[in-house]
Amino acid sequence: MSIARMAWHVAGVAAAIGGALALREGSVHPWAIPRKSGDAQVRLSWSARPERVEQCRRLSDAELAELPPHMRLRLQCEGVFARYLLTVRVDSSGIASDTIRGGGLRHDRPIRLFREIGVPSGQRRVKVEVARLDSTSAAGDTTEDHDTPGDTLLGFRAGREADERQRRAREAMPARLVLDTLISLAPGHVLLVAYDETARRLTGRMARSVP
Amino acid sequence: MRAIERLARNSLRAADAAATRFYGWRYNPLHQTGTIAVALLIVLIVTGLYLLVFYRVSEPWESVQRLAADPWLGRWIRSLHRFASDAMVVAVVVHVLRMFAQERSWGPRALAWVSGVVLFLFVFVSGWTGFVMVWDTFGARLAIVGARLFDALPILSEPVQRVFSGERPIPSAFFFVNLFLHIAIPLSVGAGLWIHVSRLARPTLLPPKPLGVAVISGLLVLSVVFPAPLPPEADPFVIPEGVPVDWFFAFWLPWVEALPISIAWAGAVATLALAAAVPLFTRRAREGAHAPSVVDPRLCTGCNQCPQDCPWHAITMVPRDDDRPTLVALVDPALCVSCGICAGSCAPMGVGPPGRTGRDQLQQVRGFDFAIPAIRRRAPVVAITCAQLPATHVHALEEAGAPIHMVSCSGNLHTSAVEQFLRDGAAGVIVFSCAPRDCRGREGPKWLLQRMYHDREAELQPRVDRRRVRLATAAPGNLAGTLAEFRTFADSVEALGIQDLQPDSEDLVCEPQPVVASKRRAWR
Ligand code: SF4
Ligand code: SF4
Repeated sequence: MSIARMAWHVAGVAAAIGGALALREGSVHPWAIPRKSGDAQVRLSWSARPERVEQCRRLSDAELAELPPHMRLRLQCEGVFARYLLTVRVDSSGIASDTIRGGGLRHDRPIRLFREIGVPSGQRRVKVEVARLDSTSAAGDTTEDHDTPGDTLLGFRAGREADERQRRAREAMPARLVLDTLISLAPGHVLLVAYDETARRLTGRMARSVP
Repeated sequence: MRAIERLARNSLRAADAAATRFYGWRYNPLHQTGTIAVALLIVLIVTGLYLLVFYRVSEPWESVQRLAADPWLGRWIRSLHRFASDAMVVAVVVHVLRMFAQERSWGPRALAWVSGVVLFLFVFVSGWTGFVMVWDTFGARLAIVGARLFDALPILSEPVQRVFSGERPIPSAFFFVNLFLHIAIPLSVGAGLWIHVSRLARPTLLPPKPLGVAVISGLLVLSVVFPAPLPPEADPFVIPEGVPVDWFFAFWLPWVEALPISIAWAGAVATLALAAAVPLFTRRAREGAHAPSVVDPRLCTGCNQCPQDCPWHAITMVPRDDDRPTLVALVDPALCVSCGICAGSCAPMGVGPPGRTGRDQLQQVRGFDFAIPAIRRRAPVVAITCAQLPATHVHALEEAGAPIHMVSCSGNLHTSAVEQFLRDGAAGVIVFSCAPRDCRGREGPKWLLQRMYHDREAELQPRVDRRRVRLATAAPGNLAGTLAEFRTFADSVEALGIQDLQPDSEDLVCEPQPVVASKRRAWR
């Protein structure tokens, strides 16, 4: 083998070593994750049912008689699912404001929220507020149908509707939710704001819960 | 597109030349990128099976940490798994560029191209699931960005990102799904590979043993000496300042982080569509150098050789239209890549792309001009070269005194043309073909070698003195080797003196047999 040829082969081995090292470097080379606004984060993540805003009307006996028997219900209600205004303030300056509503075409599905909001690290007062925009105070008779005897078919249906309405109201997000907290956010740390369905309030957390 | 192809070709040639100088043409890894990728897939499957035994979906990071802490096997097998996957991406990228630069992306090869694009996507998805399975800071970042992309699609009402929000521990089912995909996708890569090579008669799936062993042991040494580090476990409440990224799989991460999601999606879809549509941009008119092969049924004796030699399964034997008792060859133009190998395989010269059949070659040889000033007074040694031989080699051979005759592929060369050169006064004939694993006709050098020295059908006749014929390999980057081959051969031929093959002592060309019902069969 000539010297020149040998030199090429040595260069080949060097190239292979260089290639292997480059491969490793390309496999683990660090990347600084860009922090768009602020070096800490407020993360809003929850799922909750929106409140149903209804207008109800009591039907007269004559109106009731016009309906097919299986559709007879004394209290006829129409309505929509409420929208809410979400605001996030850090140290009394608003950093996010948005209208949120239930999912689905009729917005009757739960509000599924996931937002990540960059905030500067340090001692911060974070206030997250969710306020219902649509009101139930619209005119109309929203009282329950108590006067139909419970042992009739009409009464049974009225009772079932009332139960359903109560269940929905229990599960729905309250008209106003507020989390107002003073925290110390280290760079890169996250304040997770979630909704506690049982306590029906917003909660803030900065570390994993111990399983 | 042609300009891009040219640029890619020139760059590839320079890289090929360097790699040939480094490792010789036999073990040039750039000629073997497809087979190296398959070898690495096997490494990934074997190492993956080992890792699978120790992986726990209920404690993903901890189980990988235990592996990474094992100094005997776990650490380096995990690293080998990781580096082999990275090397596989590199091999596939070079393979794609090679196919593009060598104009091997269109026509009958379009299926291989498109299936290759899908396979490449599978490789990526499989890689991503593998990183996510570990649930270190990098895997979590991939999952979060992937979820963000996914949430932009109107598919699920529940944002997938909430899974990683920290509200509750990530369910084991999530890691189980990743594990399932990480196993299932490579299996579909195996099936996709079958489609990828389905057009080939004899696909080569593995690199030459020494090269395969060198690549794998190189990665092994790398894994032992510099094992892949394990980044810290992902914590949903901490955004790390930086993460160690596997850039081979996640080169897109900074872009997706920086760009609006809709643009990121548009970019990904456009890239994929563009990659899959390359055969539309690179295709050529099926005429001239790209015209498919045709059979002259008057000459076909039904020997069944061309269907065996065709590397693309483009020829079948069908019943004849006339009263001869044999079958006749039929070329499917949709499968024919116009490599011309069938022309070299047909003794009666009845098949081949227009202008490149054995008969056409004899015609060209008969009109060949041997007159080269430097060697006017002695019988020249003719160099027959494949059209892919770099111009520098051709010029150097000319300067060394060789009249040059070019064929589209060495497998296209009919052995009668070699004999004709000797009859017409050449002292010797040396055929330069590409490195066998770099042949665009796939099997040109292989079949020519067999026809010249091993009596494969359409063989070089026994009356031809084999000492006056040589088959050599010419590879970019090995000009000295090409010239040395030529000079050694020319000297050995000179020592033999005048050769005794008489011009036209025996007719090299068969007479065509009339076709009674001469209706050309069309491929249906
Ligand atoms: S090699 Fe020639 S003779 Fe033989 S089958 Fe093919 S075309 Fe016919
Ligand atoms: S030119 Fe001949 S050998 Fe090549 S693909 Fe076409 S039919 Fe097959």
